[in-house]
Amino acid sequence: MSDVVSTGQLAVGTTPSSGPPRRRGAAALVGPAAVALTAGGALVVLAKVDPNQPGHYPTCPFLFLTGMYCPGCGSLRALHDLTHLDVVGAWGMNPLLVLVVPVLLAFWVAWTVRSWRGTPRQRVIPALWINVFLGLVLAFWVARNIPALGPWLAP
Amino acid sequence: MSTPNEPQNPYGEQPQNPEDPFRKADPSPEPPAAPQYGAPGYGAPQAPQYGAPQYPGTPQYPGGPQYPAAPPYQGGYGPTPPPNYLVWAILTTVLCCLPLGIASIVFSSQVNSKFAQGDYAGAASSSNKAKQFAMWSAIVGGVFIVIAFIAGIAGGFSENSNY
Repeated sequence: MSDVVSTGQLAVGTTPSSGPPRRRGAAALVGPAAVALTAGGALVVLAKVDPNQPGHYPTCPFLFLTGMYCPGCGSLRALHDLTHLDVVGAWGMNPLLVLVVPVLLAFWVAWTVRSWRGTPRQRVIPALWINVFLGLVLAFWVARNIPALGPWLAP
Repeated sequence: MSTPNEPQNPYGEQPQNPEDPFRKADPSPEPPAAPQYGAPGYGAPQAPQYGAPQYPGTPQYPGGPQYPAAPPYQGGYGPTPPPNYLVWAILTTVLCCLPLGIASIVFSSQVNSKFAQGDYAGAASSSNKAKQFAMWSAIVGGVFIVIAFIAGIAGGFSENSNY
């Protein structure tokens, strides 16, 4: 039975109806706990090592190659501000990241609850929502490179 | 399916079920047992999981009404949606390198739209593409970071870390 369980998350090409039985309870929380520990450890490092100081982290690849901001530029400094509970500073660095963090937290909570109950993922987000998010990312990408909007959107 | 009919048939045959199929003394009662558990479609993996704990109740006849509780498992689960890797797409978009992460979001959206339309094969295909783009986005970003660190050791590190 454990052989079948180990393929539960990774089986992509299988037919959707062939859901294998899953672990439940504490044994199923290994994944969410590992993600929480990894993210928490990264945030601790990010809180201690200031990305506002030069030389601590490499430059964004897109900015380095093109000289333009990408939607992720400033996200590391925004996360650093969030670890110090400076939401206003984080918003000034990357408002997209400030909006995305609660969504990611909600996804993690839903994943943990599903793992605990042993139920597979049933509901899917409407594709329209993802498309709206995609449009938001693309618009943000363009807008933060417009000099007139730079004071609000650029990092 | 004909699930409303199936729980009714075992009531009439129930004195046979706890005796014959599970002790396997007589192969002839197995065909009535096969459509009972095999027909819901999930086959062997789920039948021992949810069915087996209920069998100790069946020799006593109050266990019989638990048979209608089995179909809601299969009807409620339905087809499991393939993973759309939306979280990976978001993470690689916001924290990593861009064009591949954007493509991952596009395919992530396709997974959900195709699944909602019943195109399960197409949804699985988009799921695979979303995974590939998110993975390569992370790999490219990781390679760039490694190169940047090597360049930083060589002396040309970023003046300000605009990450």
